[in-house]
Amino acid sequence: MNTGMDRLSAAINGVKSDRIPVFCNLIDQGARELGMPLKEYYAKGEHVAEAQLRMRVKYGYDNVWSLFYVGKEAELLGCANILYAKDGPPNVEDFVIKTYDDIARLEVPADITAHPAFAEEAECLRILKREAGGKYPICAYISSSMTLPAMLMGMEKWLELLLFGPAAVRDELIRKCHEIFVKEIKAYRDNGADVLVYSNPFGSTDTVPMKNFLEHSLPWIEKDITAVGTDGIVYYCGMSRFNKVIDIVLERVGIGAYYLSPLDDIAEGKKIIAGRGLTCGVINDLKLAEWTHDEIRAEVKRLINAGMPGGKFLFGTGVMPYNIPEENIRTMLEAAYEYGQWK
Amino acid sequence: MLDRIIKVYNEAIFDTDRDRALQIVHDAVAKGVSPEDIIFKVVLPAMDIMIKSISENFDANLAQHFMTAQIADTVTSEMLARFKTIPSPAGRMVIGTARGDMHSLGKRIVIGCLKARMVEVTDLGLNVAPEHFVEEAVARDAGVIGISAMMSHTARGDQGCLRVRQLLKERGLENRIKIIVGGAPYRFDTELYKIVQADAWAIDGVAAGKVIVDLFQEVQS
Repeated sequence: MNTGMDRLSAAINGVKSDRIPVFCNLIDQGARELGMPLKEYYAKGEHVAEAQLRMRVKYGYDNVWSLFYVGKEAELLGCANILYAKDGPPNVEDFVIKTYDDIARLEVPADITAHPAFAEEAECLRILKREAGGKYPICAYISSSMTLPAMLMGMEKWLELLLFGPAAVRDELIRKCHEIFVKEIKAYRDNGADVLVYSNPFGSTDTVPMKNFLEHSLPWIEKDITAVGTDGIVYYCGMSRFNKVIDIVLERVGIGAYYLSPLDDIAEGKKIIAGRGLTCGVINDLKLAEWTHDEIRAEVKRLINAGMPGGKFLFGTGVMPYNIPEENIRTMLEAAYEYGQWK
Repeated sequence: MLDRIIKVYNEAIFDTDRDRALQIVHDAVAKGVSPEDIIFKVVLPAMDIMIKSISENFDANLAQHFMTAQIADTVTSEMLARFKTIPSPAGRMVIGTARGDMHSLGKRIVIGCLKARMVEVTDLGLNVAPEHFVEEAVARDAGVIGISAMMSHTARGDQGCLRVRQLLKERGLENRIKIIVGGAPYRFDTELYKIVQADAWAIDGVAAGKVIVDLFQEVQS
């Protein structure tokens, strides 16, 4: 029987297994699975690991996640207040950087694995590695050097600093975020993560103009990835489109997997990648709660038909909203397993 | 001359070059263009060109929207101080992020653009309770409530737009106050504004300005 790892390896290498890999990113749904509020759920790594393993078996998809919530990275750098909801991802409530002086004071922990904010993630990874390691890809989420500042000071203040602020202050902040990025990647790899989702909305021309991408984003992408290597790295722009930069990222950085935006043209993305890497076609899961059974199947079919021919293709979701009914999740996955079969 | 000013001003905006955009405005004023013409014949048409470009799938992005709003805000403040007569507001609105939502960028873009459209805006801040939206709208005689949400659960949740709609209904205010929503979930699902019972939505902060002015007209009629 094929495992998720078999399917992913086959897709990366351009060979056929039973079907294409299917990644389903159920994160907050783990709390519902264990019947507990989100705050209680995210307090323990063993909760997250147990729910991830249960949901993977229940639905049959190919990956598990070590991600708690995106704000965890801000906690590593001193964020003390996280705002919990009953039906969605926790938010950073208190920004670590309130003035430019806070940037000089920002301290990157010498050993992030010793940091309490990492301890529960490490526990989650330990259990996932023990139970699923080698069989199902273990995913981790890491913000790029250009993106982490948005979590530390808010997107509004970060964009202001990036576009209008003092260059020395801007560069000092990105440099510190690069340091934490390198440490995080090492920690995740050492603890068993196989797939490292490199999240970088600033790697998309939906966020910054091409000129700004070339002057700021690309050099920092090169620094980030040169420092950690491309092994397991997935280029992802937080649901923003990036077909326009794929070629240059491939040429200059050599990342081997691209998790497109649901708004990108998959066929076009795949054509640009041209066999040089894995194309991940992503469904617009914000519509999944309302779509009918037939609409879900038609959309899955459309995406797979656009991306599967010629192989090196993965079907994936965004960060699935909490309110999607289980029935709709099953309909989407069953359609992906059916249409994604190699005959 | 104004056509040329609009052209070079917009080029500076698209290059996200604030200093150049401001210089163009200051040079135009020095050459005798009136402060009123700067706002109504340069800044606003430039915004409309950006909205048109976006609708034609032109490559406009978040940084350019932010830049447009920032400069519109700065230039409007500068020029208003030199207006011969201060125009009466095109309308009043209150704006904030939905309960549980800490993302402020979209709201800031909308506020900057509305300023140039002579709309009086009260910023209610982040993580705003539905009751607060309605109380403030009534207290300030606002014709529009703007609710920004960057996450699916804050857009759809029972403490967001749905609750604001319910409160307006209960208090018989639906004809007097309209609701506009915006943020990432609405871009990924263009029918979502109907599900959360808003009157309108906008694809981005720059476009929101025009939609809001249209809503004022709806309220007035």
